[in-house]
Amino acid sequence: MLETYELLVIILLASFILLIFTGYPIAWVLAGVSFWFVVIAIYGSEYADLDTYLLTSWARFSVIVDRIWSQMQNSVLVALPMFVFMGLMLDRSGVADRLMQSFTRLFGSLQGGLAIAVCCIGILLAASTGIVGASVVLLATLSMPLMLAYSYSKRLAAGVIAASGTLGILIPPSIMLVIMADQLAMSVGDLFMGAMIPGLLLGVLYMLYVIVVTHLFPGMGPPPADAPPMTARIVLDALLSMAAPAALILAVLGTIFFGIATATEASGVGAFGAMLLAAWNRRLDWRCIKDVSYETAATTAFIMAIFLGASAFALVMRNLGGDEFIAHMLRSLPFGPEGIIIVILGIAFVAGFFLDWLEISLIFLPLVAPVVKALGFDPVWFVVVFAVMLQTSFLTPPVGFSLFYLKGVVPKEVSTRDIYLGILPFVAIQLLCVFLVFEFPELALWLPREVYGGAAR
Amino acid sequence: MTQFVGLQEGAEAKGYLAGLPPCPAADAIERAVLLVGKIFAFAWLLLVLVIMVGVLERYAPPITRVMAMIFGSNPGTALTELQWHLYAAGFLVAIPFAMVRGNHVRIDVLAEHFPLRRKAWIEFLGTLLFLIPFCVFVLIHAAPFVERSITLNEVSPSPGGLGGRWIIKSFMIVSFLLLLAAALARLLRVANFLFRQRAA
Amino acid sequence: QERVRWGVPIAFGSNLTALGDTLPYVAQQLNRMSGGRINFIVQEPGSVIPALGVFDAVSEGKVDAGYSWMGYEIGKVPSSALYGATPFGMEALEFSAWYWFHGGKDMLLEIYARHNIVPIFCGAIAPEGAGWFRQQITNLDQVRGLRFRAAGLGGRIWERVGASVQLIPGPELYQALERGVLDGTEFSLPTVDEQLGFQRVAKFLHLPGFHQPTTNQFLYVNKGVWDKLQEPTKAMIETACQAGVAFAMARAEALQGAVLAKFKAEGVTVARLPEDVLKRLQEATNAVLDEQAARDADFKRVLDSMRKFQDEHQAWKQLGYLPRDWPIR
Ligand code: NA
Ligand code: NA
Repeated sequence: MLETYELLVIILLASFILLIFTGYPIAWVLAGVSFWFVVIAIYGSEYADLDTYLLTSWARFSVIVDRIWSQMQNSVLVALPMFVFMGLMLDRSGVADRLMQSFTRLFGSLQGGLAIAVCCIGILLAASTGIVGASVVLLATLSMPLMLAYSYSKRLAAGVIAASGTLGILIPPSIMLVIMADQLAMSVGDLFMGAMIPGLLLGVLYMLYVIVVTHLFPGMGPPPADAPPMTARIVLDALLSMAAPAALILAVLGTIFFGIATATEASGVGAFGAMLLAAWNRRLDWRCIKDVSYETAATTAFIMAIFLGASAFALVMRNLGGDEFIAHMLRSLPFGPEGIIIVILGIAFVAGFFLDWLEISLIFLPLVAPVVKALGFDPVWFVVVFAVMLQTSFLTPPVGFSLFYLKGVVPKEVSTRDIYLGILPFVAIQLLCVFLVFEFPELALWLPREVYGGAAR
Repeated sequence: MTQFVGLQEGAEAKGYLAGLPPCPAADAIERAVLLVGKIFAFAWLLLVLVIMVGVLERYAPPITRVMAMIFGSNPGTALTELQWHLYAAGFLVAIPFAMVRGNHVRIDVLAEHFPLRRKAWIEFLGTLLFLIPFCVFVLIHAAPFVERSITLNEVSPSPGGLGGRWIIKSFMIVSFLLLLAAALARLLRVANFLFRQRAA
Repeated sequence: QERVRWGVPIAFGSNLTALGDTLPYVAQQLNRMSGGRINFIVQEPGSVIPALGVFDAVSEGKVDAGYSWMGYEIGKVPSSALYGATPFGMEALEFSAWYWFHGGKDMLLEIYARHNIVPIFCGAIAPEGAGWFRQQITNLDQVRGLRFRAAGLGGRIWERVGASVQLIPGPELYQALERGVLDGTEFSLPTVDEQLGFQRVAKFLHLPGFHQPTTNQFLYVNKGVWDKLQEPTKAMIETACQAGVAFAMARAEALQGAVLAKFKAEGVTVARLPEDVLKRLQEATNAVLDEQAARDADFKRVLDSMRKFQDEHQAWKQLGYLPRDWPIR
């Protein structure tokens, strides 16, 4: 028999899912729904004698102020606007255009060459940033207009950008893995190494998919009609034009790798480097700085607003005992160890439709991790499988952060429907990758053992 | 050149909610919010520079000496804290800025096909019942939060960190006041359409 | 009798041995001794209240109670730092002696009453490590310019001996140390450090934890909520917390030997900081503490009381016990 507050948790989730389809901004739906459930809970407990668990006074919800303050102090998230700034500046500098042009020349004569280029840039960005919003925005602004100009399938274009842009959360450095390590008191290094191979594998699988599908359906990624034959000169030109952005990405990666600065600071170094490149190309004028600053503000704002709304929502859900409710349901499952893992991954997949990785990592992962440890599975393996599964949360509607970011920056001619249909094959590839890591744990465990000499606890 | 579609100024009145009649009162409020947003957008440029100085400071003694004149004996900590101070002020003021410009994400799978009147009703009810109560609630509770910081003369717990914690905490109030203003402007704009037209 | 159901946020994850699992133990004991009438719902850091926001939340009545390390409150209530841990100060057992029998508790109750909080001493653990270093510290010169991460009073002390104290956020510590952005960092008990994997990226663990000879945690209860409780409930909570102190002390002490042996097996050099470095650090400590005392009357009052007890207790501490390096058999 369900307790009243457990029933409230279910209604809370359901109302949120229904209300976001009104088209009202999702951040304010999250905040507003949370607010009204506090009203219901308080008056319910006071006048109708409902058991609302911990949600018995306005004071419980006023914690939102402390949570906003904590979000303000989150110095790791400083990297978010900086990578956005870097992406926009790179775009304005003209370097990005030349980069895409060079990729067009290099891969252009291939079927789906631009989409392959997006995968490559996606992997490179993933290795330097780890912030999905910034990667998707950067990839979209870099490549979407070009792909549309070359009559690529809008769905393939949208799918490959959204999917490649999410690689950053898995391929280290990764904020998600840092948070998971923090939640479970595990070594960040183990998780970084563990996620490296599955992350790269995912990128390679995307590329394979693009190659296969554009060969089966040439209309989806046609080579440009005017594609010049590949000469040594074109290759040289292309390599030269790649030098600048490559140097920039190397500057970001090198800053981290050689220990000059933290990953967060590297984001600022990258943004500064992008400004230097713009200056080099004589594009760094007042107008450019102004535009990039405004767009950085706008992009950062919509991401942070959703963080804020999600924070209010999670606060209400936890005060209604939502997390204990889920944990309790899990513990009463009648399956074997592998079955329980599959159920956990299945829940993560379904939860990923409505929640983002952060909420899932913060609410759900700590609940299931002890169960998994008790079952005798290697925690590094489990967290990596789980992390690959959470990748799908970025791409699954209605709440898919990659889809939001993409929607925010693509031209109007790319409809929401195009985006939703476009990401379907990539979600399937992610599930394939989950399956591979599940069946072959060495994919996650080999590298940490090689690097740190000794498996994780 | 890439176009920032949907991110232009005043996009909400011209984009998702295109077709609303002009509303000078809403325009005036929105202009004010935009102005503050534009000024604080330069926090991001400043942030780039502060990070660069912070990184260089770790390796270049001359820069350390200059910074030490500004921030005291341990400028590294002050510079690191300045980073998240700028980030916090930047994103807080940017949220209402993005509200006016129509950058906040909507799930418009169904809604993009709604007639304008239905969209306007949703906007009216959503703003009145979801956004405004939330803003008011946060403001009511942010006030004592900031006041407390002033009373305790709160400073950074880290050695060499920045003082005057109430200043950065106040940005929560600034942000939600601006957000409330933007919400009221939006409410005026859709109410002007929903209620004035029917009378006419 | 009354029923109590509190959400109690904690400042350290319950998965961190000795540091984080004390309140879950206290909660369990309370539930048992009250026959299920007293329920503390332990809330992990950040899940409801941010780790550093426990004090504010309890003070303002946003939650009924919370559990935290008092050192976090240094920015708002400076004397809290001394209750959390005093550099070169008392160890866990000594602190308990001073707190319960030499006036420590009365002063704290008075100071925290101004913030609408009733603090209950509810956990004390063994010293932390002095820090993890990429190079072994053998002399004072190495300390100058050392890029070191340390929080609170410890940070001020390192700064004063010439280290360049860096503020690196928790989640980035591991990588910063691994990549050499930092030359060293302190974090917590060796067991906890081991859980976070610092031994993988820094091969020198220096002891002793001069900056934190004990780490004291308190259950903060909102004063309005506490005053309304019935006497048996108050007694059960206080008693469970006293059990929590004993539990934490024993648990922390129980685990460190094995973990040091494990570090050695993994190629970590575990060594004491050189005497001249320690002496220099102690001078810096005295200066930092006196400076803080000059600025805050409560801080001075508490520090004086602690020093008075330490002076009185010193003879017993030195003579009453075998020297620490006395052979076992
Ligand atoms: Na990454
Ligand atoms: Na999703």
